[in-house]
Amino acid sequence: MPATDVHKTRNWSSRSLGSQLQHQIFYLLIRLGGRRAAYALLYFVVLYYVLLRPAVRGKTFPYLRRRFPREGGPPRLRNSYRMSLELGKVLVDRAVVGILGPSAMRVEMDGGAKLLELVGEGRGLILLTAHVGCWQVAMSALGFLQVPVNLLMQRETGDIDRHYFEHAGIECPYKIIDPRGFLGGALEMVEVLKRGEILSVMGDRMLGNDQNGVRVDFLGAPVRFPFSAYKLASATGAPVAVVLSAKTGPASYELKLYDVIRVPGGLGRGEASFAPHASRFARSLERFCAEHPYQFFNFFDLWHDPDRAEDRRRTESEEL
Amino acid sequence: MTIKEKLKKILVEELNLEDISPEEIDDDAPLFGEGLGLDSLDAVELVVLVQKHFGVEIKDMEEGRPALQSVSSLAAFIENRLAA
Repeated sequence: MPATDVHKTRNWSSRSLGSQLQHQIFYLLIRLGGRRAAYALLYFVVLYYVLLRPAVRGKTFPYLRRRFPREGGPPRLRNSYRMSLELGKVLVDRAVVGILGPSAMRVEMDGGAKLLELVGEGRGLILLTAHVGCWQVAMSALGFLQVPVNLLMQRETGDIDRHYFEHAGIECPYKIIDPRGFLGGALEMVEVLKRGEILSVMGDRMLGNDQNGVRVDFLGAPVRFPFSAYKLASATGAPVAVVLSAKTGPASYELKLYDVIRVPGGLGRGEASFAPHASRFARSLERFCAEHPYQFFNFFDLWHDPDRAEDRRRTESEEL
Repeated sequence: MTIKEKLKKILVEELNLEDISPEEIDDDAPLFGEGLGLDSLDAVELVVLVQKHFGVEIKDMEEGRPALQSVSSLAAFIENRLAA
């Protein structure tokens, strides 16, 4: 794929913000003083980034402008701090689960019986989730389904945040499918669904060289969401469960089933066929943002449209 | 109708390939990327269609990678499976 096209489909990065040493300091604090000690340092670190690093602060603004359109100036700065702090807490919690064990965090499941029912259909289950809350902590609550969980995940060079199982030194509890593999991992995804297993896919970001995006409205303006999950569902008959996680207390998370999407077969190749389903996902995500406004962790301009002249001009001026 | 002809018909009609007829598809043209221009999600559909029309399952990557190169390779894979 030409570099310009990659740029067109993707304007985000999962590279870590802090250095290796900074991460190690947090891990040490967790070992010595638990979650609270790490949080105490976090308040100051986030304050530094939000006040003194405009580029970091600016990454929260595209979402905040949509979610809180009437709040500019100091209120937006405060919202930026809260949003960044929530992300920091989630990263600390993820490390806490790995270092101190799963019992350090309570995870409640809302909709568990329905998920069991869907798995029981035997056609596999597509868990459609998003970059909100802490999916890694929440995934640890899926053991009750008693089927293997496979995760479509792209990890970049420069992403030094450790996953909880890496902290714990245990084998990865789910199989990772790399979207940069042969045919974007498509065959592996079909394979796991055929076996009746769970496939977890992020519905809010385009991965790898994926150009299969569909335009839907999200928080009042169009965005491009991938439609791979709906295409997979259409081809295999697997139901799609929209499941999102949220931090609900200092040491508690909730994993909530927001919607079950049934995609009919034979929808063809055109993106328009998948728009209604992507739109339903967007509605679920809006509900989540209403309930947990500071736990939406897409720190880039989701609404940036390279095909729109105004956005293209802005990108070109940023590149100069 | 040979397996190759049937495959080409499936590609055009069920994957909705535009501006090309089954007769125009080269047996050895790459299915993905340049060539027929199919993408990863078409692969998903194709795996399901092969099972539906020929009763042949492409179980995993090991089988899928060599089989899904061209119409020729896919037809050969199906023939082998049907003969087994």
